[in-house]
Amino acid sequence: MKPSPDHPGVVPAGCAILAHAGVAVSFTEIAALRDAPVPEGAPALPARFLRHCDEHTVVAMRAVLDAIASIEVPLSLERCGVVAAPCQAGRIATARSLAQLPVGGAVTVSPHIVPQCSLHSVAGAVSVALGMHGPHIGVGGGPDALAEGLFAAMTLFQCGAASGCDSAWVIATSWDEEPTLAADGTPEGNPVCRAVAMLATATEMAPHARLTLALHMTGEAGGAEAMPTPLASFARALEMCGHGMALAGWSVACPWGAEIRLAVRPADDRQQGLDRMASLSLRRREAA
Amino acid sequence: MTAVDRSSLEPVVVTGIGAVSPLGSSFDEIADNLLGGRTGVRAIDPGRFAREHVQFAAPVSGIPAPSETICGLSSEAFGRLGRLERLCLSPLAAALDDAGLATDRSPRIGLVLGMGAEHLKDWELDFLDGGSEVFGDRRDRTLVHRLAGRVGIKGPAVTVAAACASSGYAMAMGRTWIDSGWVDACVVGGCDILSPVAIAAFYNLRALSRRADDPAKASRPFDGDRDGFVMGEGGAFFVLERQRDARARGRRIRGELAGVGMSSDGGHMVIPSSDPVQSSRAITAAITNAGVRPDEIDYINAHAAGTPVGDVAEAGAIRTALGDATDAIPVSSTKSMSGHLISGAAAFEALACLAAIDRQAVPPTINLDRPDPQCRLDHVPHEFRPRRIRVAASNSFGFGGSNLCLVLKAA
Repeated sequence: MKPSPDHPGVVPAGCAILAHAGVAVSFTEIAALRDAPVPEGAPALPARFLRHCDEHTVVAMRAVLDAIASIEVPLSLERCGVVAAPCQAGRIATARSLAQLPVGGAVTVSPHIVPQCSLHSVAGAVSVALGMHGPHIGVGGGPDALAEGLFAAMTLFQCGAASGCDSAWVIATSWDEEPTLAADGTPEGNPVCRAVAMLATATEMAPHARLTLALHMTGEAGGAEAMPTPLASFARALEMCGHGMALAGWSVACPWGAEIRLAVRPADDRQQGLDRMASLSLRRREAA
Repeated sequence: MTAVDRSSLEPVVVTGIGAVSPLGSSFDEIADNLLGGRTGVRAIDPGRFAREHVQFAAPVSGIPAPSETICGLSSEAFGRLGRLERLCLSPLAAALDDAGLATDRSPRIGLVLGMGAEHLKDWELDFLDGGSEVFGDRRDRTLVHRLAGRVGIKGPAVTVAAACASSGYAMAMGRTWIDSGWVDACVVGGCDILSPVAIAAFYNLRALSRRADDPAKASRPFDGDRDGFVMGEGGAFFVLERQRDARARGRRIRGELAGVGMSSDGGHMVIPSSDPVQSSRAITAAITNAGVRPDEIDYINAHAAGTPVGDVAEAGAIRTALGDATDAIPVSSTKSMSGHLISGAAAFEALACLAAIDRQAVPPTINLDRPDPQCRLDHVPHEFRPRRIRVAASNSFGFGGSNLCLVLKAA
């Protein structure tokens, strides 16, 4: 790929992060979270909504709800989309189903396997649980899920009105270490499932937002050898930036020659953005 | 973040088509079968895990090996790949070849693969073959990256899933990459594969037709006697690029991907909403994005899979979105012939729209003997209808309430 920052015709892409949260839950704790996923200050979910959901969905939902609970000003999520990038979600339920198959036959295959264990399932569950009407898509599915998910989120924001959304949840999930499963599908040890959820919107729509993500086409394809960024590293970087600590040059590398940079907006820039927004709003009111 | 303003952009057009489907593996063969009203549904042997004594579906009977010059694989080596990879690689390579990009890598090329359940299928097929991958701790790179490597694509490569709308979202995403200048050309599409567990899961969900006494009549969208869908396999891939680039390269333009629209029901993980507001919003967004009026649409390829609830919901969505124009727009569901290709359905049905534009005829909905009065549309039952077609729309709806509409225009 050509170095894109200087490439004529390349539209820059990025977004502002309005809220974010990270959650890491051990396998044994997921059952309790499945039954009571809603933290104080977050909206209620439909009764027993997570009953059949995959572990990745349970943990992702908690991250989304934690992020909502952290928002001081109530906001409408109706026109919100979801981009969720899980890494190998649905493996435990699939293993359990396959383990039963030789004994019980096809009648034992759970009807929940397809809706709850597919690549779209995390995004679908968040969209349904919160009654959101922007598009929801699953992305990635493998070790590059974080990079693919962030890139897909940038794509969605480029779609404009066709996307039908003005903001989107960007979610990534993964086991910290992919667990080995016993013959009945139960994980060995007590693996930790992690989720990061970010509510993102157009950069210019949120001049007050402290954090931003920006896509940079580097032109240096790393190929199959490039190591994916671990989700735990991204979660730590996001948390540090959330506390105002600027991490110089922190980014998620995409194997095709792009990177998505996480940045803390300087206070002066945020103030200037707010001033511009107020001025624009005043002019619109006067014109009306 | 600045959304791309399409009104000022160069049209994004289709210059390459590849397919592997129950109705054939070339554009002309598929177009002939669609307009001929021929079905790909038949009894199949699902192996030792059959859910019923007679199992039926719409299988792919042969996967053409791509040229060794495109993917560096001999036909023997291609035959040793997993079936899912072969189902994707064959049409992907055919699309690149059709676009004249089999070996030309001077444009920056991306790949968006619409695939809803790659891992489920991998784990299942490995398990049924005596393997134990599902129990292990391996994290292999996903199929999209293997495919990109095999055909030498070095640009962005992403898997996207929106259930039965997956490959349509892949098309929408690829067009946006081109609009944004991130790539010069993009291979987009998707495929799916029949498997015993997937068939059993949909059967146990009561989503599949149980008309085992007459499989060829089982897929009957919009019919009053429909009782569920018939699973199929295969899909389609397209090469998208800017119109001016295609003309500069002297390539034949097969059509324009003129509009996309997206929304979610936000209602249920499986059942589509009976309220047409959200699904109609996707249709409205797509025709607005394409810059056409409802009365300029010449054909609608409906998602209609033959489920009792879904077909009625879609008929309502079309009418809500298009209003009075609805009565003058012929609507058909090619799933009546191809079965439901799941992840590959949206791309295959975009191909059906391009076939309708190419042949200037609306493919029929076969088995539509007694249209459901709740699905009041201008149906095209049993036989194709000649018609001037400049603009075609294709709906795709999926689990989780995912809604997508694509608008394709004649070149």
